[in-house]
Amino acid sequence: MAKHAGRASRRAVLGGIAGTLGLAAVRPLRAAPSGQPVRVGSTLALTGPLAQTSLIHKAVGEIYVSLLNKKDGLLGRPVEWILLDDQSKPDVARSLYEKLITVDKVDLVIGPYATGNILAAMGVAQRYQKMLIQHTFGLPHLAKYEMQFPASPIGPEPNKSAPIPIFDLLAATKTPPKTVAVVASKFPSTHFISQGARAEAEKRKIKEVLYLEYEFGTRDWGAIAARIKDAKPDFVYFGALGVESVQALDAMKKLDYTPPRHYHLFTAPGPLMLAAEGNNALAYTYFEEHPPFTARPGAAEMIPLYRDKAKQLGIPYPYFDFQAAASATAWQMLEASIKGTKSLDDKNMAAWLKANEVDALIGKLRFDGPNNHGPDQSKVRQVIDKKWVVVWPTEYAPPGVKAILP
Amino acid sequence: MALIRGPHAAPAIAALAALALFFVPAAHLPAFYESFFYILCYWIALATSWNILSGYAHYLSFGHGAFFGAGVYASATLTTKFSVPFLWSIPAAAAVAALLAAAIGAVVFRLNRLRGDLFALLTLAVAFVLSTIVLNTPIDGGPGVYLSAVPLPDIAGSPTATIYVLGLGLAVISIGTAYAVAHSRLGLGLFAIHDDEDVAEAKGVPTFRYKMIAFAISAGIAGAVGAVHAMYVSYVTVGETFGITVPVYVVLMSVLGGMRHWLGPAVGAALIGASLFAFTGGASATIGRAVVAFGLIAVILLLPEGVVPTLLRRARGWLKKRAKPAAMPQVAPPAALRSRSPVSQAGAPLLACFGVEKSFGGLRALRGVSLEVKRGEILGLVGPNGSGKTTLINVISGQYRRDAGRIALDGHDIGRTSAHRIAALGIARTYQIPRPFAHLTALENVILAGTFGGQADRAAIRAEAQHWLEFAGLGARAETLPGELNLHEGKFLELARALAAHPSLLMLDEVLAGLTPSEIASAVALIRRIRDAGASILFVEHNMRAVLELSDQLVVLNYGQVIAAGAPREVVRDPEVITAYLGAAHA
Amino acid sequence: MPSLNLLGQALVSGVLIGGLYGLLGLGLTLSWGLLHLINIAYFGLAFLSAYLTYHLGTVYHLEPWFSGLIIVPVFFALGVGLHWALARFRVSGLVSLLVTFGFIVVIEAVIQLAWTADFRKLELPYEVPSLRLGRLYVPTLELIAWVLASVFAVFAWAALRWTYFGKAVRAAAEDPAIAASFGINHRANALLIAGICAASAALAGIFIALTTTLAPSQMFAWFGVVFAVVIIGGLGNPLGALIAGVLIGVAESMTMAITAPAWAPLVAFSLLIALMIWQPRWL
Repeated sequence: MAKHAGRASRRAVLGGIAGTLGLAAVRPLRAAPSGQPVRVGSTLALTGPLAQTSLIHKAVGEIYVSLLNKKDGLLGRPVEWILLDDQSKPDVARSLYEKLITVDKVDLVIGPYATGNILAAMGVAQRYQKMLIQHTFGLPHLAKYEMQFPASPIGPEPNKSAPIPIFDLLAATKTPPKTVAVVASKFPSTHFISQGARAEAEKRKIKEVLYLEYEFGTRDWGAIAARIKDAKPDFVYFGALGVESVQALDAMKKLDYTPPRHYHLFTAPGPLMLAAEGNNALAYTYFEEHPPFTARPGAAEMIPLYRDKAKQLGIPYPYFDFQAAASATAWQMLEASIKGTKSLDDKNMAAWLKANEVDALIGKLRFDGPNNHGPDQSKVRQVIDKKWVVVWPTEYAPPGVKAILP
Repeated sequence: MALIRGPHAAPAIAALAALALFFVPAAHLPAFYESFFYILCYWIALATSWNILSGYAHYLSFGHGAFFGAGVYASATLTTKFSVPFLWSIPAAAAVAALLAAAIGAVVFRLNRLRGDLFALLTLAVAFVLSTIVLNTPIDGGPGVYLSAVPLPDIAGSPTATIYVLGLGLAVISIGTAYAVAHSRLGLGLFAIHDDEDVAEAKGVPTFRYKMIAFAISAGIAGAVGAVHAMYVSYVTVGETFGITVPVYVVLMSVLGGMRHWLGPAVGAALIGASLFAFTGGASATIGRAVVAFGLIAVILLLPEGVVPTLLRRARGWLKKRAKPAAMPQVAPPAALRSRSPVSQAGAPLLACFGVEKSFGGLRALRGVSLEVKRGEILGLVGPNGSGKTTLINVISGQYRRDAGRIALDGHDIGRTSAHRIAALGIARTYQIPRPFAHLTALENVILAGTFGGQADRAAIRAEAQHWLEFAGLGARAETLPGELNLHEGKFLELARALAAHPSLLMLDEVLAGLTPSEIASAVALIRRIRDAGASILFVEHNMRAVLELSDQLVVLNYGQVIAAGAPREVVRDPEVITAYLGAAHA
Repeated sequence: MPSLNLLGQALVSGVLIGGLYGLLGLGLTLSWGLLHLINIAYFGLAFLSAYLTYHLGTVYHLEPWFSGLIIVPVFFALGVGLHWALARFRVSGLVSLLVTFGFIVVIEAVIQLAWTADFRKLELPYEVPSLRLGRLYVPTLELIAWVLASVFAVFAWAALRWTYFGKAVRAAAEDPAIAASFGINHRANALLIAGICAASAALAGIFIALTTTLAPSQMFAWFGVVFAVVIIGGLGNPLGALIAGVLIGVAESMTMAITAPAWAPLVAFSLLIALMIWQPRWL
């Protein structure tokens, strides 16, 4: 697979089917794009509780659009991104997508951030038959609109597929865990995958010594930490979001306890990476900032620009992980489908995406499965020496790096 | 201009505007406008419904989100799990929310101490409890409920237009309800509860029932809004539904628009709702929020009573300046007081207390008080401070429940009757320190007493109220707010308010205290005229001269016991009475 | 059945988080009860203080306690200024809720502009080990926060109850006109109270920075529980807020130890409803 990625980038330079971004090199000089701009509309949660992550999507989108405009834009026309703030509210997201489509009359739309808002936008896109490429939808079985396309390779049934890599990794160690504690946030997408993790553990005859569900927005982690410590699991699966599991770890450290192995589902990468107790933490990913991922189309160009932009914006962890990669991939898919069809027609572009493979930052993506999902490409990453690196499947690990599991 | 001046101008304009808005879909505007107007309607309906209890009666609910959420999940459950047609789920959601409110109200409104702040807390707590239940049971359970498969009937041409028409319908219903309530007995009662709930009850307002009705209406509308909104967002989650947005925003919107006006919350909701969309541009989102916040602060500082009341007052002031002074309305000829209790045998007592006891903790305020007020009699009740006079009035009027003994009006036991029923039976009282309804004008104060004193015809109530104000010498102060009256005017307003209820028994609690000699003289004359008009009077007073002058019978209380009763001149010579008043040395 | 040790640990955790509830509620309860201002700006001030602590600690490597020596007095002054402005415009009651909500939104925007919406975590350069109490662990920073919250609450409570200043403030809260006629300068007293409120919010913020990961919108997450704490503790009663905070904290924590943590709010708030309906004497 690693070799594949390398070849892929070479092919992209030669003008392969898709993802024609990673080509800082050999393109003949062209005139700047001209004519009426192609207008792409989207919302992001620029304010409110989802703003942390939207920040990443905003930065990536702006970089991508400026890169497009430095080259020949889309179909030779400049690209304009109309970005609105949905305030982290699905009802506002719905209204704003209606605004983008019916008032601003944008040519194309791209998805907002986070499951609830994407679902709201999807309804609008469906009514107006606009193709919707989205980067972060966590409940694929609800994405029934035939012209929605996911940029994140979580597969059609992430509840079944996403827990497999981490349990495979654990099974491959010398001391596979005999007991597990599953600690699940009642947030829809994480809760959904946590249920799958429980089933996977059961299938592998790992005894579940503790299962906890907590409310999204829990403030006091002391009791939960004490229960985990009390249960003495070999492995803790945090079906958590943002910094929840970081706070749980912190609370456990105050009880002089750190679980021997712990996995974090959709964690904010920065705080966990830098916290002392986050050392050797395992987490979900499908892209990290090292080879073979960095050899993929667009990576070489995007990552340094993103670092600069993040520093300039004052983002504390200027780090290009799977969230940023998914965001860039959504734009690559949009670009590829336009180039592939030489049109801005939503139906043509959607048909093209269904029929073709897109070689993007996240990998080779297909959209021919249920609800336009391709196969799951989930991986496991670990904090090693204060950096996130992929450790499973092993062929995606940086050379010489192995998972550290006590 | 003429339109604005007419009494029904505002509702007429509002109705016309609403009618016009129903045709927005026909204008084939881009769907965004329907969606945008829907959001405004959504906030208008929520804020207006909140205001019906919390604004009018000042029972602040921080749990409006609970009723909204109950509606959201009622509709989501019915449509997805039981395949109930969406339109039918709207009244069902309203019913669920209203029942929830009724259940809460049935507990908290019975407890007088759960007023105000504690009611706010309780509603807040109920919201937490409800959201936890929804989150942890199959109602939601965590993953959220997706309504995309629920068919939306086509009412207005497109799904967005249909949602818009439903939202507008709810906004119109809630504003219409708010208007109707504000202009009804219910509204008058709620406004009275807002200012002084005990007095409202004593003036005949069935406070418990009114609060229940207002709470159920308020919650029911919120529930219906929840049902429509569930369809609008089409994916409902506990986090979004029970977040702090709804309970906080309805308060802010109502305060901004003005809580004492039926249209205030709607205006506040439209302003804040629109401002949410003012700065959605990606580049300015954060700064935009700050700008909107500054705008809000500026508006409320400039118009502290809320946009609608302040602007209306200014407009009225401006119109008044331009208009010629209107002729004073004709005052109806003085009406005689009619006793409303059934006529019984002549000579039988109107009010009979026997062995009445009342304790507060360890303090026995009344220790077996017995007395009788005969028809057409003025009974003077005197005693040193703390002897139990005011307590006795509070017990007779039903504000406190007696611990033991019997109280009968016209032979019927009223010892366990609630205060507003006792008021309706014909007992009226005044307060030692005037307790007018502070936000109602002098005239409205009297109208309220008349309205809940058994009269039905509004015009007659108004004319009579004006009459009683004139009777009490306050004719020129009809439009004045009580805060601007002096003590003597305040006391006379108490009198006018008591008289407007056509009492058969009037209980006056130290009406003369604090008045100048000439004011006392006019008050004494007034009391005589009241008795001559047909009422019996129980008269608590310290001013012995006035007592001797007025009373037919004198009763002396000391330490909660009757120590003397009989003809005034004889009673004051009783040595025990002298001891009680002047101390043992003088006996 | 959970072990005794687990229950003990949950109790510790609940008591400690209750201290933070009480400290965050102190400003709200004093201003609501004594100044008739439903001043929710203190939530915003607490988070502003938390971000400043983070900034001073991360950029200038200042010790949190040293940052506190700067931040707390500055916020005292800020609180005085804020109250002066509110008094100047005669803001009170629900209008104050609207105005201070506006302040919070502005503070949130300022925080987001200055520190972005991304998570911020103050990492201390040294470990702060927990104290051992038999088999129980007591987290040190939380314990310090709790002790300070208690000291603050007890002092405020005692000052209100027994000093001339406290009596004057309470008298003015009951009836400003009569208090004024006895020569009480409520304006000056109110400024002092407002300063204390803001200082307590600043203190709460320092511990929020020390014990949690910051994000601008998190200030709204504390609303519900702190409102509940403030009302059940009795408006204007700092000690009541602390006791109510501990009560709710323990109820939540024990629920988390015994059953599914997601049920915690149900137990805590049902308890609260039951308490209010039966109303024991101390309430």
